Amino acid sequence: MRIIGLWAMVLVLLYALQTSLLTFINFDGFSANLMLLLTVSVAFLRGHEKGAFFGFMAGLLQDATTGSYFGLATFSYMTIGLIFGKFSVNLFRDQSLLPVISSIPALVIHFAITIAFLFLLGWQIDLIRFLKFDFWPTAIMQVVLAYPVHRLVLSLNELSKRR
Amino acid sequence: MSNKVRKEKPTGKKIIALIVVFISVFCCVFFAARGKFNTTATNGAAMMLVAPFQRAFSWAGSQLTFIKDSVTEISHLHEQNKKLREEVELLRAQNLTASEYASENQRLRNLLGYKQAAVQFDLVAASVIGRESASWSSVIVINRGTIDGVANNMAVVTELGLVGHVMEAGVNSAKVQLLIDPRSSVGTLIQRPESRVAGIVEGDSKNPSHPKMVNIPKDSDVKVEDMVVTSGFGGVYPKGLVVGKIIDIHNEEGGLLQYGVIETSVDFQKLEDVAVIVASREAPPEPIQPPPQTPGTETDPHETAEKLQQAQQQILDAQQQVQDAQQQQLQEAGYVVEEGGQ
Repeated sequence: MRIIGLWAMVLVLLYALQTSLLTFINFDGFSANLMLLLTVSVAFLRGHEKGAFFGFMAGLLQDATTGSYFGLATFSYMTIGLIFGKFSVNLFRDQSLLPVISSIPALVIHFAITIAFLFLLGWQIDLIRFLKFDFWPTAIMQVVLAYPVHRLVLSLNELSKRR
Repeated sequence: MSNKVRKEKPTGKKIIALIVVFISVFCCVFFAARGKFNTTATNGAAMMLVAPFQRAFSWAGSQLTFIKDSVTEISHLHEQNKKLREEVELLRAQNLTASEYASENQRLRNLLGYKQAAVQFDLVAASVIGRESASWSSVIVINRGTIDGVANNMAVVTELGLVGHVMEAGVNSAKVQLLIDPRSSVGTLIQRPESRVAGIVEGDSKNPSHPKMVNIPKDSDVKVEDMVVTSGFGGVYPKGLVVGKIIDIHNEEGGLLQYGVIETSVDFQKLEDVAVIVASREAPPEPIQPPPQTPGTETDPHETAEKLQQAQQQILDAQQQVQDAQQQQLQEAGYVVEEGGQ
């Protein structure tokens, strides 16, 4: 129970960090997405079921607090947790570089799902402008923050196993 | 930490549960977007949970931003300070140049004023470009020479008074022996009408800044504060140029003569622009001034002249009218035939 509380606390703290402190470092309104990095790391370390569940919780937290469309982030993170958790079956879990590299495809999938939903809801998205001004700055921040987030998840994972 | 490869085999129930969840969330998005799905209570609870942490992180963020802004501002101020220092140095240099120009402008204006006032002289303005000053010699070099019409023994003046005379004129420069040079001697007289005592002003090697007016008879009417002007004797210096004023009077050793110590009107230490008198003639007569009027009966001479002119014009007009009337009467009586008539 304590372990679950610890994971929940980390989730809430990182989300608060993402929506407060990290917003001071933003490019065109886009800042780092720690929930995405957290989901990818958990998925790599704990498999697709836990990854999807963690993504679900992270997305739910985001949708419940700052989300524009309830369920959008939940669906996206859950999908990403599921996909990247599938990879963990055939990979070594302590490869720290993997989540760093994976942060880019994870971001691509997240943006793809979001854009697809927005398109289905009748929004017009300028994809070229989006890729040029929004995607790459966010991707750079994701790569920079991927390693520390993964180290944090790794430590929590070890702690969970010991308990 | 283990490097074991994970082996997971999803069961059918789990897959079904996952699919159900995915479809539910997918539908949620569309329902929420169309306002058919409301999660106000959940949102409130989640916000309440996250808000304290957000506040704490936001405070930290604002502090960091403040520090970053302060550092940026300090850096900016340092840069600005550097630029302002450079600007101050530049402006100081410009100010110095401007002051120099202003000073030169003032001197030239004064000289021009003198040139316009002294209509009896043809003046050539010159700048002092060299100076030799010792107790035995006081000579300056000016930037005008024979090419400008300057010749030997021409008087050199400023608007304040006599400077000296040209002792050696070159092609484009000239040496001027100053009034205070011990070798210089200028024929002068006391300007005061009651006095008009003549004497010679010579440079004094013992007191280079104050020349002496010598050869003054002991019983002559010379007082301290008397103005000394050139007498015109000798032909080098035109008459009436101000030399200076008597500030002290001493008896000569022989006992028959006395000499006056003169404070020159020109400050020879600040001599920068001078004028060479290349030609001189008699001064034109002063314009006639109206005589003094009895108090209480003053009239304006210009107004009187205008009135007089108007009266003369009226008389002329009246005469013309009388002539015209007479002409008309003669025509009517038939004594005069109209021009062009039969």
